Amino acid sequence: MHIVGGLLSLLVLGLTIYLPIRIILGRKNPILKWLQKEILSWERKNIINTEQGNSILQEYNLKRIDVGKKMDTVKIITLIGSIFLGLGVIFFVASNWQEIPKHIRTGILLGTTFITLYLGYFFSCENSRYPVLGKSLLFLSSLFWGGSIALICQIYHIPSSDNWLVVLLWAFPILPIVYFFDNKYTLVLTSALFVVWNFLYSSSNDVANYYYPVIVFILMLPMAKKFKVGQQMNIIGLLLAGFYCPFFKYEWLPLFISIGLLSCYLIKKEEKEYLYAASLSFVAWHITYFSIREISPNFYFLLPLATLFYLTYKEKSKLNLAINIMSLILWFHYTLYTYSKIFDNRYSFITTVIIQSAIGIILYIIGISHRNKEMGSPYKIFGYTTAFGCTYLLSFKKMLLNNTVYSKLFFWMSLLLMFIAVVLLIGKFLKNYFNTKSAKWELLALLSVIISNLFILMNPYLILFDTVVANAVLVVFAVVNIFYGVEEENPAIFNSGIAIFVLFVITRYIDIFWELKEKSWFFIIGGLFMIIGGMYLEKQRRKVLEKMNK
Amino acid sequence: MNKKIITFSIMILWLIISLGLIASKQYTISTGKKVLLETVPVDPRDFLRGDYVILSYKISDLDLSIVSPNKSDFKRGKSIYVKLEPREKYWEAVSVKEKNNIKTDEVIVKGKIKYNYQQGHLMVSYGIENYFVPEGKGKEIEQSMRRGSSNTVSVEAIVDKFGNAVVNKLYINDSEVKF
Repeated sequence: MHIVGGLLSLLVLGLTIYLPIRIILGRKNPILKWLQKEILSWERKNIINTEQGNSILQEYNLKRIDVGKKMDTVKIITLIGSIFLGLGVIFFVASNWQEIPKHIRTGILLGTTFITLYLGYFFSCENSRYPVLGKSLLFLSSLFWGGSIALICQIYHIPSSDNWLVVLLWAFPILPIVYFFDNKYTLVLTSALFVVWNFLYSSSNDVANYYYPVIVFILMLPMAKKFKVGQQMNIIGLLLAGFYCPFFKYEWLPLFISIGLLSCYLIKKEEKEYLYAASLSFVAWHITYFSIREISPNFYFLLPLATLFYLTYKEKSKLNLAINIMSLILWFHYTLYTYSKIFDNRYSFITTVIIQSAIGIILYIIGISHRNKEMGSPYKIFGYTTAFGCTYLLSFKKMLLNNTVYSKLFFWMSLLLMFIAVVLLIGKFLKNYFNTKSAKWELLALLSVIISNLFILMNPYLILFDTVVANAVLVVFAVVNIFYGVEEENPAIFNSGIAIFVLFVITRYIDIFWELKEKSWFFIIGGLFMIIGGMYLEKQRRKVLEKMNK
Repeated sequence: MNKKIITFSIMILWLIISLGLIASKQYTISTGKKVLLETVPVDPRDFLRGDYVILSYKISDLDLSIVSPNKSDFKRGKSIYVKLEPREKYWEAVSVKEKNNIKTDEVIVKGKIKYNYQQGHLMVSYGIENYFVPEGKGKEIEQSMRRGSSNTVSVEAIVDKFGNAVVNKLYINDSEVKF
């Protein structure tokens, strides 16, 4: 149950991290994907030469598709065949077939494993006409070896609590196939087995598994060499191991993993995956640290975070910047929570949301202050979505009603952050940033959030007014996005304005009419309203988008 | 390096590991002492997974006030050595011993602490909690072990001098289960 719960939590955590990052990075334009493929075709037809092709790719910031690495049909069929055969043998063993005496069964399976291994060697090295078959047979022998170990364990009734040992006895002895025959399929299998082993070992022995990262850093990653899938699988395995730690309070393991990943990045600078993974892994350490020492703020975290920010700017990596901004916000809130415990102050909902909203505004202003627009965009996106999200939370009357009391510490903290936001905004104003029409829309959104936050903070008991103010700001958000989108001719921002408006209407509809005793009317009226409103909005949206395209 | 030599080296490595695994279990079976253990009913939703039966023994639940009245340092995951003695029909846990304090004539089984309950009880696993059965044959044993069933299910385990245990035979109402 611990494992299932842990994995589910990891999934949710993973999604919450992945989604904003995905938004920041954006999807690759389908036209660019098409262009990537077409360039190769034009080069083959001699319409353009390789240099011209490279220039076009550089112009659109695209990478060349590696044709050589694409799997062909033969490889896929033989690989699937090997997997089927391997699985068949494992299921055969699992069915615990009693007709053949135990030791003969073991002998047959071991014999088959050895013959397959030899044939794999033969077709890979001796007879070079079937290299794909050779690779698949080597992989198949790795699967058969797993089946043999499972059979022996079954004969002696070795219990499932010792499954970690079974997996380890499967994974380690097949490593020579990866190393000496450079067999990528087996590398993937071993990587997956070690990930499974790590969780089984930890849960079975109730200890942090330091052997796993050591095996990955010393054996698996060097063996993966330039094989991206193998490398990424092991990095993901390390991250899973790191984010597993907060649940079981293994404090130093995620730090150990983080330092290892950062060292890998510093050694192989061209491979940025290590930098991303190190950033995420430090977050795992910070969460673990907090879960163990709730009343001790983690200032040590700032040291790796500052290093990671420095490396991020050096690399100009938008993805890593997004991760680090998130880490910083997380650190700030954990520290605030810790101090609230130390000073016995209530960690109030309203002030926390207002503090987060102020952080959002500050991030946005940092974003627009960047000379490098690309590096400024993660700040802008995080800042804007944060400020919007906080206003949305404050727009619920019930939320405001249940949280009217807050402590002095949080009140002054909120005020201080709002003050910083205002000072930064004035600074931008004096530098004439808000002269353009688009920037004026931005200013309107930022000002309305600041004013509404201050109003709610100062008047916690004016629930009705507070709700109206927060809702008015939501409408401002929708209007700003729509007009900013039109001004910048950016359909994505325009559409997000429509989405905010729709969300606002639906939320308020549910808020007001859910209390009705007769729920059928709630759905009937709501459904009709949404169909008619949706049709109207879609019509208007198309009109504006058509105008934009013209 | 010659790939042919490597291939044969891998075969030898695999052979050593598999034979080593078999030999360690065969050593326990051939040199160990046979003990008959009483099983206790388990929650029927949990004990049959796939094609093996989950066994729970009377010795899996140790009452510390009886087996170790003077010691309280029992952390989850820690190995412990439990002394078994025959009582009427079945062997039962009589005390918890230190590893360096085991006499040659004693039957000691090595276990791992799964849970340490506040009420002075330890839940211990001994590596003999699974019994593999042919596909579809688990249902009979499942019926026999259900809570409220009048059948008695017992296990003959073999324990070697290092405390390692192996399941040897399974009995339902004193008749050996054979497939």
